[in-house]
Amino acid sequence: MNTIPWIILPFPCGSDLADRRGLRKDLLIALRVSGSPVIVDFSSCGTLNHADIDLLLECVAQAAGRDTKVLFVAGSRVNRVLLEVTRISSLVPVFNSVREALAYPQIAVENDAEVLPASQFQKPGSA
Amino acid sequence: MELGAVVVVPAREDFMLTHEAQAHDLAASENSRPFYSSRMPILGNDVLRSWTERVRKLGVQSLWLTSNSPDESVDRSALAEFARQGVERLLVIQLKSYAEMDLADLLRFHCESRNPVTEAEDARGPLGVCLRDYLALHATRQKSAFPSAPTDSGQIPYQFRGYAKRILSARERQELVGDGLTGACAMRPLGTQIRNQVWVGEGAKLADSVRVIGPTYIGARTIVHAGATIGPFVSVEHDCVVDCGTTMERSTVLPYTYLAPGLLIRNELVDGGVLEDLSWRAVADLRPAGLGSRIQRRESRRQAFHESDVLSRAGRTSGWDFARSSTASQPWLRVQL
Repeated sequence: MNTIPWIILPFPCGSDLADRRGLRKDLLIALRVSGSPVIVDFSSCGTLNHADIDLLLECVAQAAGRDTKVLFVAGSRVNRVLLEVTRISSLVPVFNSVREALAYPQIAVENDAEVLPASQFQKPGSA
Repeated sequence: MELGAVVVVPAREDFMLTHEAQAHDLAASENSRPFYSSRMPILGNDVLRSWTERVRKLGVQSLWLTSNSPDESVDRSALAEFARQGVERLLVIQLKSYAEMDLADLLRFHCESRNPVTEAEDARGPLGVCLRDYLALHATRQKSAFPSAPTDSGQIPYQFRGYAKRILSARERQELVGDGLTGACAMRPLGTQIRNQVWVGEGAKLADSVRVIGPTYIGARTIVHAGATIGPFVSVEHDCVVDCGTTMERSTVLPYTYLAPGLLIRNELVDGGVLEDLSWRAVADLRPAGLGSRIQRRESRRQAFHESDVLSRAGRTSGWDFARSSTASQPWLRVQL
């Protein structure tokens, strides 16, 4: 059976600038190049600020017109509300938890899907 | 028998206490709920004024206006003073609800049932309106304790079966807005009806491309920029700004609120930079993301609601004749009706 790896990336929220830059780079590369479905997880974010919203919109723009499937995990009702208020939830499916996101029909490929957590995520060509 | 009347505006702390009973609501809420002042307009209407009109119809010439102190729901000793000054029967209205109540009927019930204390309640519980007779007031003075909600055993409450909503609850507030817009209650939007079920307050400005879907109310001096869609079941109170392309449905925006461009406000209550989602029961801060903020008033900066604010707000909005109590330990205003 065909296996599709998917990637879970924590959203670089509340990190310091260097961490944020690194995570942001990984996130955008994953979206642009990997071709794997990407789950962006906001669980560690207390609330979203304007830079977060900018980055989210950038993610959506990067994914648009590509095969890459992007899902957001709000992690909290506050984040979910903010994603709805900004209409981002109308562009990208939003879930309450990673488990819910994995159950999303378009991303769940039976039980043999390969999970690539953020820590194991390799940039294409770097292996 | 001399009848006195007191309207008590709940303070922030009391608001939290009133919601302790709704434990499941709070448990479901992710953040602490914001405080919505009971003096915030609803469809441009002041709920305090609706109560004072009802008091006036009782033939009462004046009423006393105060706010709760932070540590107790009412300044108890001050209330007991009414008894000392010859007020043998006192009507106490906690400004927590909008109720289309015939106070004369409440008074009649109180007399017939011979309760020292009669609390009005509906199917959901007390409405914050009660009548107290001299004996109960005297007992209060003796004990120096004035329960905010009478718990005297054996009292027969006045069962109110008319229209009532608790205005400190975002959800019921929104229900009241919907009922006011559709004529399901006596409250009517304060403004000019420009077409079927659409009211606009004085000085409101709507760009040509704004789409207004009734029933909807847009308050005085509010500005709605191009491409916005407002309605149905929306109340944008006075002095707000709704920026380009924002869509609103089944929501309320409280005065002096700015909303950024392109937002989707659906089933929510927005007060400055704070948004309460009525479906998710979550409170989100819009300010860090620049999605909403408080518009600073020209003449005065908005302050946390406390006792002294009662005076300024009441004076600003009503034009009533006030006299300040010099004996009470907290601000008390005498309002000539």
